[in-house]
Amino acid sequence: MATKIGDQESPQASASHQPSVKRAPPPETPAAIQTRFRVIAAFWAVIIFLGFPIWWKTTSIYRASLPIEEMVDWADGKACRPVFPLEIHLATPSMQSLEAQHLLRTTQHALDDLNEFAAHHLRLKLSNGSTTATHNGEDSPESFKYLAEETADTALTVRLLPQEGLVGPRSELQTATTQLDIFYPPNQVPVPSSSNSPLSAFITAELQRLYSEEKATIAYILSGNTAGLDSTSPQLAEEIDRRLRRSIKYAETYHLSFSLFTPGSEPSSWDIEAAVNEYVSPLLQALSPISNFTIDTQVQLYANFAPTAPKPEYDESEAVWTLKKEGLSAFVNAAEWPLNPSIGSGPTINFILYIPDPSQSPLFVKENRASSWMVPQWGGVFILNPPLSHTDKQGGPSNPTHLSQDSLGPAFMTFSHQLLTLLGTPSTPTSLPLRLQTSIRIRAASLLLSASSTMGSLARLTKSLPSIPIPATVATSVSTTLSHLSSSCAHLREGRFSAALASARVAETEAERSFFEKSMVGQVYFPDEHKVAVYLPLLGPIGVPLVVGLLKELKRIAGRRKAKGAP
Amino acid sequence: MTVLSLFSLPLVTLILSLWSSSAFASSDYHEHLLLHPLPQSSLLASFNFRSNTSKQSFDQQHFRYLPRALGQILQHAHTKELHLRFTTGRWDAESWGPRPWNGSKEGGTGVELWAWIDARGDEEAFAKWITLTQSLSGLFCASLNFVDSTRTTRPVVSFEPAGDHSAADQLHLLHGTLPGEVVCTENLTPFLKLLPCKGKAGISSLFDGHKLFDAAWQSMSVDIRPVCSADGECVVQIEQTVDMVLDIDRSKRSRSNPIPRPVPNEQLVCDTSKPYNSDDTCYPLEKTNDKAWSLTEIFGRSLNGVCPLTDFDGSSDQSVCLRVPHERGVFISEEADEIKKDDGFTRCFKLAPSAPFDLSIPQQPVNTEVPLDEPVLHAERTIVGHGQERGGMRIIFGNPCNTSAVDFIYFESLPWFLRPYIHTLHATITGHDGVLREVPASEIVKETYYRPAIDRERGTQLELALSVPAASTVTLTYDFEKAILRYTEYPPDANRGFNVAPAVIRILDTAHNAPIYIRSTSLLLQLPTPDFSMPYNVIILTSTVIALAFGTIFNILVRRIVTLDEAAALGAQTLKGRVLGKFVALRDRLRGKDTKVE
Repeated sequence: MATKIGDQESPQASASHQPSVKRAPPPETPAAIQTRFRVIAAFWAVIIFLGFPIWWKTTSIYRASLPIEEMVDWADGKACRPVFPLEIHLATPSMQSLEAQHLLRTTQHALDDLNEFAAHHLRLKLSNGSTTATHNGEDSPESFKYLAEETADTALTVRLLPQEGLVGPRSELQTATTQLDIFYPPNQVPVPSSSNSPLSAFITAELQRLYSEEKATIAYILSGNTAGLDSTSPQLAEEIDRRLRRSIKYAETYHLSFSLFTPGSEPSSWDIEAAVNEYVSPLLQALSPISNFTIDTQVQLYANFAPTAPKPEYDESEAVWTLKKEGLSAFVNAAEWPLNPSIGSGPTINFILYIPDPSQSPLFVKENRASSWMVPQWGGVFILNPPLSHTDKQGGPSNPTHLSQDSLGPAFMTFSHQLLTLLGTPSTPTSLPLRLQTSIRIRAASLLLSASSTMGSLARLTKSLPSIPIPATVATSVSTTLSHLSSSCAHLREGRFSAALASARVAETEAERSFFEKSMVGQVYFPDEHKVAVYLPLLGPIGVPLVVGLLKELKRIAGRRKAKGAP
Repeated sequence: MTVLSLFSLPLVTLILSLWSSSAFASSDYHEHLLLHPLPQSSLLASFNFRSNTSKQSFDQQHFRYLPRALGQILQHAHTKELHLRFTTGRWDAESWGPRPWNGSKEGGTGVELWAWIDARGDEEAFAKWITLTQSLSGLFCASLNFVDSTRTTRPVVSFEPAGDHSAADQLHLLHGTLPGEVVCTENLTPFLKLLPCKGKAGISSLFDGHKLFDAAWQSMSVDIRPVCSADGECVVQIEQTVDMVLDIDRSKRSRSNPIPRPVPNEQLVCDTSKPYNSDDTCYPLEKTNDKAWSLTEIFGRSLNGVCPLTDFDGSSDQSVCLRVPHERGVFISEEADEIKKDDGFTRCFKLAPSAPFDLSIPQQPVNTEVPLDEPVLHAERTIVGHGQERGGMRIIFGNPCNTSAVDFIYFESLPWFLRPYIHTLHATITGHDGVLREVPASEIVKETYYRPAIDRERGTQLELALSVPAASTVTLTYDFEKAILRYTEYPPDANRGFNVAPAVIRILDTAHNAPIYIRSTSLLLQLPTPDFSMPYNVIILTSTVIALAFGTIFNILVRRIVTLDEAAALGAQTLKGRVLGKFVALRDRLRGKDTKVE
């Protein structure tokens, strides 16, 4: 050990200070100094050029690059301004083409003047009256189906029919098709010279009325309020707000679950197949272009209220049992009633038919004597009070053992209405195909916005959390989302709403997938300080000689520089 | 109003079905409870619930008796037949005789699941199996999601479908066990929810988790199978059973004072004929069967009427039966009727629809006993051997019958970390004379189906067709090796041992139409278990060694080598050398002072 001595002394220094008593070692040869320099340099080279990159490579997390700018643009609404040009065909079977064109021009002019919401506008188009009318009359449900066709969807066909003996024009909306018949006295056909005519004013007013709710809804979705629209009444705005908050998020498949709950043992069967066929299937068929539906039903006996739920109270004045309105939220005993969601993708909409116990029948909601209510974004409840029979040997009234299709009628009518509301279908106009078309546009708009805002959230997330990994699948999903978003926006601009909805659907699915990617939320299993503690016995003893060696070498080089510069 | 407008749609055709209430005629519900006092003051309570749903309404998802959640799982996983078992405890075949339902409604300790799945290929079947186990895991609050490929087997001859399946289905049988699963109240609650009467009425109102899981042995089962009549009408049948053996004394212990305490000396029942019998020594007498008990005492609650869904026709209204000799008095609630059967031991009770029912048996010396059959086969399986590297399995089959041999299938699924050496399979046979004979295994084993394990992918599957001659005992042994697991593969309680699933024995008996099943107890396998702080020790030790080696080599490479004299000269100039010099001088001065004083 004595032979090993640190070489703090630079050779020059040891050479200059000649100790008197002991013999100093001879100055180191330049070759030895050179070798030592090379050894230290080699070690550090290995550390810097091999060790460090390997460590960096193996411990870094993969972050695929995302088009952050573009994503933020979508979220801020800079990438796309959704517009809804509705194409309305004007069928004028008994008008001269010149007259018809003039009527079209004046009406379009009047419509444009009145429109206060630029994103939603009506475009009139003259069509070969008779053919279009029959075409639309025949296959209106299928007419939503053509998706990627080049022509824009026809929103409405207005048929102008002359009728003798009328004082002013009269309109008639066909409830089963997308057709509006307008009857006019033949003498009111506008002449090309006049700039205004009662007929065109009437058509304008009719169209405005038909689409006022849709316009307000879309304005509400796009901007969050209907403040920009003067014509929208506060009641309508409130109605739209309520409906949008109640409706279930759009999905490709909905599971409808009809359940019969009763606290006793009766009734234990119901004519459910017939009731579903009679009351629900026709509606689902009409809704089939928008979503798919599955139906399941169940009968559950001995379904009691939750112990914490408020009990029904007896109203002596009317001899009925009542539930308080504020207690309705606790009516469904979620802990015990088997209302688990159906297997498979898509949300489940629950419809509960509750038959109260004979001792608590009839049962109503206290405030308004209603027997049904909706649970927003979840489903509906209907309390059925069947006529009690007193024939039972036990004494005391009892419920019927079987519910016939007729007795289920009111309940299932209510359920169909609740289903339409839960799906966000507007309440006007009276024609169901028109309402479904409106709902396509509303869905497309809300999906577009929702997918865009998901993109924005993802962009913010990746920026704010630099430690989370971003797998390549997320980047793929993001690019799919963005491309479908822009194609959806393009479809909207050209009035192909079904195609726009299809694209927006894909965009929404992909956006959700990228946002909820599992591997992005993986936790760090070993914290860094833990790893350091374990590897300190290795890094400490190796690191200290290396660092000290490097420092000495640097000092020597610095000293030599100074020595060179001094003389 | 808006709905009304729908019905004017000309394009919508309203399909008015020709459906009538007769569609529910095939949906029926039965429940039945058999109480059977067993020797050693035990009571077997055997509950059975069965209901049918027509295939048509099952396919259309109109659920009435069949629970919706379970029905949807079956449809989602394309499962045509399902058998699920939750079992705890051990059936004491020597005292209690043959098993209830011939063992066909029980499983091995823990959870056992097997199902016939309709799939085009093996991989698709396995994917659906995983879906099935995941969904059932959620439904029954059990760890069924841990049934992975290493715990899944495809038995060839041990199980046969119990339902009537259409020939078009490509059925795959998959079988999984979780021997370590602790069955408890959280599994009973979902089980009860599946029943139409939900434990509120009928015999299911007797279920109490505290009593059920306090039993010496209990087994819950769910079986779903399609049943077709001769005219081709099919129903989906769900059958749920709960069998339990309760210790009467233990169950009668009051709920408010559940802690077991030693019996006071004066209450001990001692065999006074023993010579050593005195105040402080006692040879306990075997428990007699004439104990007094009642339903309320045993189950902690009374039976709450009948489930109103049961058909009130024929024999199904007698939902509670008791097997005690007719000479024994039984007190029942007033509204119920007692019907004695001709066999001299069975009586059934017709219950009033909504009145609570109780049944009590007073203490009474009886001369006749309910005869218990001798089990067809005794089976016992143990792990033998010592050490952490190797072990052996010993399986003993005893045929108590003096006249005929027993043919059966022995099915074992072993975890992959237990590696059996099948070539060491040996058989010894002990005849009624008690002489041990070594016989070649092929003499006993008629057929073998063996699927070796793949590490971390699948377990060993061994199916043997065996035949045990009359009045003899056959002992099969084979050796195995214990694998060493990876660090992360050890469970938190690794030193407890690893569960090995019970073996399933299916007795092929022509006399019985249904096969008899026996399951052995599950085993605990001790694996070589590391000290779990080992990786840190290894890291630290290795780091130290590497650091030492590195330091030495690095120092040799970069240090300058000088002689001792030169070192001293160099040392005097360094800071350390100077400090050291001063220190030495100071010490010398102090020493000098010391000497002066002396």
